[in-house]
Amino acid sequence: MTKAVRITVDGASLLAQEGQSLTAALMMAGVSAIRKSPTGEARGALCAMGSCHECRATVDGVRGVRTCLVPVKEGLRVEREMKLPRLPLEPSPGGEGGDSPQIIETGLAVIGAGPAGLAAACVAAELGMKVVIIDESMGPGGRIWSHRHDPPLAARNWLERAREAGVLKLQGYSVFSGQAGELDVARVTDGKRVRIRCQSMVVATGARERFLPFPGWTLPGVVGAGALQSLIKGGLNIDGRRVLVAGTGPLLLAVARLAKESGAEVILAEQSSLVDRSSLAIPLLLSPSRWKPARQLLKALGGMERYSSSWVTEARGGPALKEVVLRTPAGDRVMEVDGLAIGYGLIPETRMAAGLGCDVESTGTVRVDSLQQTSVPGIYCAGEPTGIAGCEAAIDEGLVAGIAAVGKTPKASLLARVRRHRFWGQALEDAHPLREELGKLAHGSEILCRCEDVTVGDVSEISSIREARLIHRVGMGPCQGRVCESAALCQSLSGSDTIRPPWTVVPGENQDMSSAR
Amino acid sequence: MDRHHVIIIGAGIVGVSCAHQLSQRGSRITLIEAGPGPGVQGATAAGMGHIVVNDGDPEILKLCLRGREMWRQLLDENVGDRGYWNTGTLWLAEDEEQLHGLGGARDRLHSAGVDSHTLQAAELFDLEPALNRDLAGGLRIPHDGVVYAPKVTARLLSQTTEVETRFDTRVTRVGDGGVTLEDGTEMKADAVVIASGVSLLENLDREEDFSWKQKLKILPREGHLAITARGTGILRHHVVEAGYQKGAHGVVEEAIACAILPRPTDQLCLGSSRRPGRAGAVDPGVLKKVIDRCERFVPGVRRLPILRAWTGARAATVDGKPLIGPVPGWNRTWLAGGFEGLGITQAPAAAELLAQRIHAETCTLDAGPWDPGRMLVLSAGGRSD
Repeated sequence: MTKAVRITVDGASLLAQEGQSLTAALMMAGVSAIRKSPTGEARGALCAMGSCHECRATVDGVRGVRTCLVPVKEGLRVEREMKLPRLPLEPSPGGEGGDSPQIIETGLAVIGAGPAGLAAACVAAELGMKVVIIDESMGPGGRIWSHRHDPPLAARNWLERAREAGVLKLQGYSVFSGQAGELDVARVTDGKRVRIRCQSMVVATGARERFLPFPGWTLPGVVGAGALQSLIKGGLNIDGRRVLVAGTGPLLLAVARLAKESGAEVILAEQSSLVDRSSLAIPLLLSPSRWKPARQLLKALGGMERYSSSWVTEARGGPALKEVVLRTPAGDRVMEVDGLAIGYGLIPETRMAAGLGCDVESTGTVRVDSLQQTSVPGIYCAGEPTGIAGCEAAIDEGLVAGIAAVGKTPKASLLARVRRHRFWGQALEDAHPLREELGKLAHGSEILCRCEDVTVGDVSEISSIREARLIHRVGMGPCQGRVCESAALCQSLSGSDTIRPPWTVVPGENQDMSSAR
Repeated sequence: MDRHHVIIIGAGIVGVSCAHQLSQRGSRITLIEAGPGPGVQGATAAGMGHIVVNDGDPEILKLCLRGREMWRQLLDENVGDRGYWNTGTLWLAEDEEQLHGLGGARDRLHSAGVDSHTLQAAELFDLEPALNRDLAGGLRIPHDGVVYAPKVTARLLSQTTEVETRFDTRVTRVGDGGVTLEDGTEMKADAVVIASGVSLLENLDREEDFSWKQKLKILPREGHLAITARGTGILRHHVVEAGYQKGAHGVVEEAIACAILPRPTDQLCLGSSRRPGRAGAVDPGVLKKVIDRCERFVPGVRRLPILRAWTGARAATVDGKPLIGPVPGWNRTWLAGGFEGLGITQAPAAAELLAQRIHAETCTLDAGPWDPGRMLVLSAGGRSD
């Protein structure tokens, strides 16, 4: 089913699988350190979904490409950014004025091809609207439905419907600038620009993982929980490896299950207590549709080494991960592991919506009305950016947004379902409160901002986000603060950051296409 | 409490420089800032951080030179973000006429004792191989440099004694020797220094006649900048197109000029644009023009990944010169502002001059050209919005 192809890494040839995520291919070949940080630390992939930029490399001559978003193909040339060589600059094609970007005119532009975006795109296209869907990843489906070969059962219907309804897919493109009626996008692999003009928009950008700094969190081999899921789906083979899945929330269970089914020896550690999670009993009882999946999940996790009220206090190794210290109610346990997947829940990805001018609540969610309409007329938002509530909620909100975007009124029963999902999402969050100790794991010389190597100690005496950014350069690297802003230290600072284009760092304009394929 | 007490409004690079100079002369300082900390608002936060001598006007050149000299004494050289990074400036000529113009600039700089030399095309490319090969030549000013203004400002404040800081505090009224804060608190002092950038003349509590307001005013000039990712610092000098003087400092209403500044972090800061108004949202159209203009001088920059873009506002005056001296007709409230694009360069020199005047010392530089009172006798004309 998979075809073996040859790629080169720093001039050395190695085998990989066609269509595999480039990050996964590199890790499989033992290349877990992909770049060097400003102070010379080796770094590897963290989020594996395009947020953290830790996996960036020069790919086919293009600087700063996120390898987690690149599908492997024959002859791909990768240069790790270990020494930051000078770019041999050649004039950009098109001379001083540059090439004009390709322009696509459409009715509805949907940002994100996860469950919410696909549902919105399908329903709007079926109602007669011309629809373009833009997505950064290697394939459609978002995190939950990402796949290399056959899409999961739940996704098939939507992918089929999107095809039949003639939804135009811009897969592997990042939206980096825009306003109501217009979006600027760039291809992930080479920076090729496209401008989309549209009547309305649905922002369905999903969520990203919450990372909390702890000693050793920058070691290559420490990845996000959702990142491990993406990497396995992207072709990372972990058969026979010993992996600790730690952190909090329902995503951990799904990741642990996938890792186990992929042949890994999995240890699962959840930081919340059984008492906290027991609060889910009543919402679960009231939601019969969730009984069967919950039973299946618990069955799949049977026999796994599991810890509750336990969290990782330190990862050790160098340059790669060797062992992890897990704090359990019975004391600290030092575990030798091949990998650590750690995630402290999900954060609504609201930056795109904020960049478009949509109001974001102090709780960190995009403000929408019952029709998923944001504060900007013509811009709708659906799924996790409006509050973490899972896949079913995302689909239903996407349907509402898609229907509303073509000027129709959704059925009352659909709107009622959306309200119920929100209740469930809140119950899940309440059942996994983050313990205070997690905010105090990193001290002094531990890294806070991975892009700029700012330490916790560097920012111990300031009070505002502006000082953190301007004087100490926290969040001034390519992730733009997506990773470090969730740290307790950053959360305690006053003020907020302004979102300006480029909303996502993309390769420069007008790459020389002769060097790319 | 008998110590000479000065209230300074604005903790940007100018206000903090004033605090530093005044405290060295024994003043006790109260530094009031609307933002959350020193150096994180206004032009200090937004500017490129270029320390540059400008030969356009002999008096401005003196102020720049004194500023540059003081920065080099205040900050250790070549220690990256922590100090003064001696990049030098390369002014770039597109044709023989511009190169001839740069020759004139060199002569003026030489007569002021400033090290500088013109370069023919081949010498230019030896120094900076990344430059466009069709350029005619350039002018190199080797002792110009770069500071990272927010950090330098914070550090200068930490080295200033006898200063009480009040951040997140707004001033709503300024009188002669006193201020009122937004919570109604009234404060008096031996002297008040206003160093609040584009807000310099707001909140002055006096009845002005029409002509006063027409002549003494601050004209905000918005600019766009962008910064590339690390590992893209393909230049060693700050490179600026010769037309910059006209484009970014002159009387043109809207202008784009190439100014590219290497940062010690191995990044390039790309500029610049100029148009009337305060700093607003990033305008992708203007940003594109800026990067396209940079591409003309350094082919390939458009291919570098841009990390961030932002806007800022320069505080310009009607005659293009800063206001350093007392508010006309007042004795105890002083202005330090209107530096346009040269505030970071001139800050220490302006602060020294102001401190010398407040303490009635002999001034290092002639105070006359900067006295705000000059604006009231200006003939009609000059610049306006």
